[in-house]
Amino acid sequence: MNEMFPISSETAQKVWDNFDRELIHKLKPLPEEERNDVRLEILSHLYESMANAPINASGDAQYHNEDVRLINAISNLGSPDEYLEPLIADILLYQKASKGNPVAIWNGLRNSAKKGLMHALATLVLGMGYFWVIMIFIMSLMHMVNPDVGIWFYPGGEVSLSFEAQPGATQWLTEWFSLVGIVGSALAYWGLSKLLSFFIAKIK
Amino acid sequence: MPSNNEYRGSVDTMDPNKIIERWVPQYRKGLLEFIILLRLKQGTTYGYELALQIKEVTSIDVAEGTLYPLLNRLKRDGLVVSEWQTQEVGSPRKYYKLTPVGQDTLVIMKSVWSETHNSILKLVMQA
Repeated sequence: MNEMFPISSETAQKVWDNFDRELIHKLKPLPEEERNDVRLEILSHLYESMANAPINASGDAQYHNEDVRLINAISNLGSPDEYLEPLIADILLYQKASKGNPVAIWNGLRNSAKKGLMHALATLVLGMGYFWVIMIFIMSLMHMVNPDVGIWFYPGGEVSLSFEAQPGATQWLTEWFSLVGIVGSALAYWGLSKLLSFFIAKIK
Repeated sequence: MPSNNEYRGSVDTMDPNKIIERWVPQYRKGLLEFIILLRLKQGTTYGYELALQIKEVTSIDVAEGTLYPLLNRLKRDGLVVSEWQTQEVGSPRKYYKLTPVGQDTLVIMKSVWSETHNSILKLVMQA
C-alpha cells in the first residue's frame, strides 16, 4: 500500500509500517475481504489526517514535519483497541451467525434475550426451532441404524417422534426419512441462522 | 417531608465539575449515530471528513476511530451504504451515503429528539 500512501520521511515511514503491522495483526480474526476493507479505510483516514493536519499561525516548523503530523494523526484516531475491538466483534458476530456457527448462535440468542418481550419471543421461536432441527438431524442419523426411529402417524391424526415402533401407527417416509431429515434439518438450520442474523442486526 | 437525617447515604461527595466532565462525553457520544445520519442527509462523506465535521459542529472530543464501529453498525442495519472512490491525487476514500431506510429512520429520530428536547427544556425552565 506504499504507492497508495506515499511518505517521504524515513522515520514517518517506519512509524506508518509499525502501525500497519499492528493493524494487520489485530484484524487477523476477520475474513480477508473485510480485513482488507477495514485496513484500507483506517489507513486512508490516517493518511488524510496526516496530509491535512492544520498548520499553526506561527508556521512552526514542527507542524510541517511529516513525523509529527503522523504521530498526531495516530493519536487523534485513538487507541486501536478502542475502535477495532467493537468493530471486529460486530462483523464476526454477524458473519458467524449467518454461517451457522454454534458459538455465534448462542451469543446471538443471549443478546436477543436481553431485548424485551418481542425479542424474548423471537428467542423462544428460534430456540425451539434449533431444538427441533437438532432433534430431527439426530433421529435421521439413528434411523440409518434402527429403521423404527422416525415420525409416526396415528389413525386419529396425532403425530409422534419416536425411537421405537408405535403399535397401530404408520411410519412417515420409512425409506427416505434419513435423507429427507438430514437435508431438511440442514436447510432449516441455514434458514434459522439467517433469521437470527437478521435479528442480531435489528437489535443493535 | 423527610428530615435531613433521612437523606444520609452518600459519604463522599464528588466535585460537580468532575461529574460534568464525565457526563458531557457520555451524553454527546449517545447522540453520535443521530449526528452521523444528520450529516449524511446533507450529502455523501467519508470517515475523516465526517470526524472533522463532527468535531467542528458539536465540539465532541471523540477519538476519530470510534466512528468506524458506528458506521459499520449503520451499514449493517441498512441505514447507510458505502462505496470506495479512488482519486487522481491522494488516498482512496470510502464514501458513505444515506439509504431510503436511513432517511425514514432519521425522520423518526428527529421527531423523537425534538419531543425529548422540548420536554427536557420545560424541566430546565422550571428548575
